Amino acid sequence: MSKIGVFVCHCGENISSTVDCEKVAATVGKYDGVAFSVDYKYMCSDPGQSIIKNAIAEKGLTGVVVAACSPRMHEPTFRKVCAEAGLNPYMCEMANLREHCSWVHEKGEATTEKAIDLVRILVEKVKYNQSLNSIKVPVTKTALVIGGGIAGIQASLDIANTGHKVILIEKDPSIGGHMSQLSETFPTLDCSQCILTPRMVEVAQHPNITLYTYAELESLEGFIGNFKAKIRKKSKSLDEKLCTGCGLCTTKCPTKKIPSEFNEGLGNRTAIYVPFPQAVPNKPVIDRIHCTYYTKGKCKICEKVCPTGAIRFDQEDQIVEVEVGAIVVATGFAVKRPDFFPEYGYGKYADVITGLQFERLASASGPTLGEIRRPSDGKIPEKIVFLACAGSRDPAKGIPYCSKICCMYIAKHAMLYQHKVHSGKSYVFYMDIRAGGKMYEEFVRRAIEDDGVNYIRGRVSKIYEKNGKLIVSGVDTLLNAMPVEIEADMVVLATAGVANEGAEELAQKLHISYDPYKFFAEAHPKLKPVETNTGGIFLAGSCQAPRDIPESVAMASGAAVKVAGLFSQDELTREPIIAVVNRQAAPVYSSCVGCFLCVSACPYQAIEKEEIKNRTGDLIKSIAKVNPGLCQGCGTCVAFCRTKSIDIQGYTHEQMYSEVMALLNEY
Amino acid sequence: MVDLIKRAKELIETSAVRVVIGYEQGIGNKTRALFVEKAEDAGKLIFDSRCVQNLAVYITKKEIKEKGKMAIAATLPVMRSIIQLASEFQVNDNNLLVLGITAESKLIEFANLVEVETFVHQYQIEIDARNKEMLDKLGKMTQAERWKFWIDELAPCFKCYACRAACPMCYCHRCTVDFNQPQWIPVPSHELGNLEWHIMRAMHLTGRCIDCDACYNACPLSIPINLLTKKMLEDAKEHFGGYQPSLKGDHLMSTYKPDDKENFIH
Repeated sequence: MSKIGVFVCHCGENISSTVDCEKVAATVGKYDGVAFSVDYKYMCSDPGQSIIKNAIAEKGLTGVVVAACSPRMHEPTFRKVCAEAGLNPYMCEMANLREHCSWVHEKGEATTEKAIDLVRILVEKVKYNQSLNSIKVPVTKTALVIGGGIAGIQASLDIANTGHKVILIEKDPSIGGHMSQLSETFPTLDCSQCILTPRMVEVAQHPNITLYTYAELESLEGFIGNFKAKIRKKSKSLDEKLCTGCGLCTTKCPTKKIPSEFNEGLGNRTAIYVPFPQAVPNKPVIDRIHCTYYTKGKCKICEKVCPTGAIRFDQEDQIVEVEVGAIVVATGFAVKRPDFFPEYGYGKYADVITGLQFERLASASGPTLGEIRRPSDGKIPEKIVFLACAGSRDPAKGIPYCSKICCMYIAKHAMLYQHKVHSGKSYVFYMDIRAGGKMYEEFVRRAIEDDGVNYIRGRVSKIYEKNGKLIVSGVDTLLNAMPVEIEADMVVLATAGVANEGAEELAQKLHISYDPYKFFAEAHPKLKPVETNTGGIFLAGSCQAPRDIPESVAMASGAAVKVAGLFSQDELTREPIIAVVNRQAAPVYSSCVGCFLCVSACPYQAIEKEEIKNRTGDLIKSIAKVNPGLCQGCGTCVAFCRTKSIDIQGYTHEQMYSEVMALLNEY
Repeated sequence: MVDLIKRAKELIETSAVRVVIGYEQGIGNKTRALFVEKAEDAGKLIFDSRCVQNLAVYITKKEIKEKGKMAIAATLPVMRSIIQLASEFQVNDNNLLVLGITAESKLIEFANLVEVETFVHQYQIEIDARNKEMLDKLGKMTQAERWKFWIDELAPCFKCYACRAACPMCYCHRCTVDFNQPQWIPVPSHELGNLEWHIMRAMHLTGRCIDCDACYNACPLSIPINLLTKKMLEDAKEHFGGYQPSLKGDHLMSTYKPDDKENFIH
């Protein structure tokens, strides 16, 4: 006979203001199997916890129902209380009287009745609860970092510096990411490359970091502490061990007119190329799409000039399999490209460029060596217009969110322009100036007040060309929507920051959630900003939402600490809420009939075949078996199993049935 | 069916198989399953238009499987069942030889199940005109009318489970209705019990049923329970593009795909 204790919490007044907690406790106290029932103001407080502990000891309780807030909030608390009092923690269940009842209903009889129902179904469930033991899994103390931008670099260095191994993969030929493309950084105007490249070099030289550039994640299996990743090392057509990075091949390559990705198409590169002079590793790759040898079958000039004979035209992609315990996803973002702004003439007018392209123009390592020259004819623009919110905060464009970094970089761009072109005039069209951050507002004020940038609050409806000038036509909303027309030589669009191409596919490979904009979803918007809903996978930087450099770096360090925390243990403890295929005595062995439809239904590849053999080794029966390390307890297999041979521990058929019947039956 | 008799005899005589499953003359004008284990019994094999029972139901039976390798005289629906059963790991090339019977009553012996699959895939599963008409009629009914139709039709069912026994896909050793801790599906053949049993049966067959009508043919009360599975067949086609049994095992209703439109798991 069950001896169940029911503990009804008032949650201050959160519950008791609409639910008659005393009545709940008194009513439930009369049910069969309930040996003790009490209400208290704060069950989670120390005195509240003592009530539970004392009742377990004095009444010899076999099960506990705490009727309080969401189990997400305090289930671990109360299970721990039970464990401390000597009761198996999984004999404790929580009825959610707050989120599911008091917060969503008016005060009244019916609300209290519902509260009683919620408690009763769990009383009936607990009667069928069984003691469960947590699952221990080993931890592989190597981390995989995906993406070699500033976030990935920071996370890799931080993890590596705690003494753990890191595998960093980057899809481009060099690490560095967007930060390596920037000219100066706000709000200090220090040179981006000057602060980034030492970190890049540190990554390359760190004994704990294995760097795979030009590599992508092919597939991922496994679970927290025990992932198996396949990494595709795209062929660089190069023997990296032999290559000294002398660069002779890149100077001799005859295919020279390929738009440079690093320069955002404002400069050219060769088919065998190093993306930029400070690249890490500073060794070239052959772009097979443009290389004359791969397209026409002739050339091989690089092979002829290479002093060490490092070129390998027949090199194939290589798949590297690695075992890792944790993953940091730092794949960054992209900016909206041509065609997205037909009204602004982007893609039609050469002198309408994106913010990222302006970075390249302003950068000392850029195609103009840092001189602001417009792409069409190389002239120094006398009038330049910056448009904030190009795409961002525009529900009509499908991007209702703020891209966050643009207000700051526009102020920086305008400032850099004014510093370089003293006679020039710059204008900024903006909706609001969002300069929240240390020294950020001061920075924008400096642009306006010290450098004379003209800020116009209003939006631009269109840009068109007239007599060789770009006519920017907008309004000034601070002057009663007065139309404004500026004859500009160049226009810079602060285009929206969006999720990277392939973000959705990667999220599905990793089994992590993503938001409607395909940015990866954090586990909790406030309290778990670097965790994902998948254990052991963490987020850093702009793959989660547009982030500036300090934020990306902070996130990366945060993620690194999470990884280090995970690696501080030799074994992980997992909740035993997993699926189990039943086993019975011979000659049945299991009611599983071995159709294995559950195998294809399982989103986590957690179900395998198990062969039951007799003593002489003959196969008696093949049945399904759930790998306890991989199972996430989602219950999909339970729903599909026709013979009802699978149960989720803690949510068994008997427990669910008793809950349903407790609701349907009259009491 | 001289060819079939000759081949069955050879197979048994050479011990290529232990048992040949086919049809024989039953009581009255009925046919029934025959299990040829001795060469001299091969002569009893018949095949004609009366042979509509789905013999695939026997190949998952423990008593038959234990005899050793089986051969089966298989019409198109039987072959479809075999492919579906193979995709569910219930039969394989090692324990089954398929003696196909074409629509023209020609015998084709298949070397393996891949060949059977190729043969089966030439033909789409199609609901016959009479049943199609009935489904359309049901579709046009109001919800209340349809409810009444089914309550009335299912009322006489006394749960003899002949439908289950005749269905090759109902090979589970423990059926959902026999699961009694807890008893999700009520055992008695009252309104709720009958309704739940037949709905559950149709659900379990969705994406697996090959529309052989064995359940309907077996029903002693001629309750049109095959309309339920046929409706599921139609729905599967409409919502998920339909299916053919296939050895690849890409089960229509129970395959997780990362791009599933339901996003509860993302």
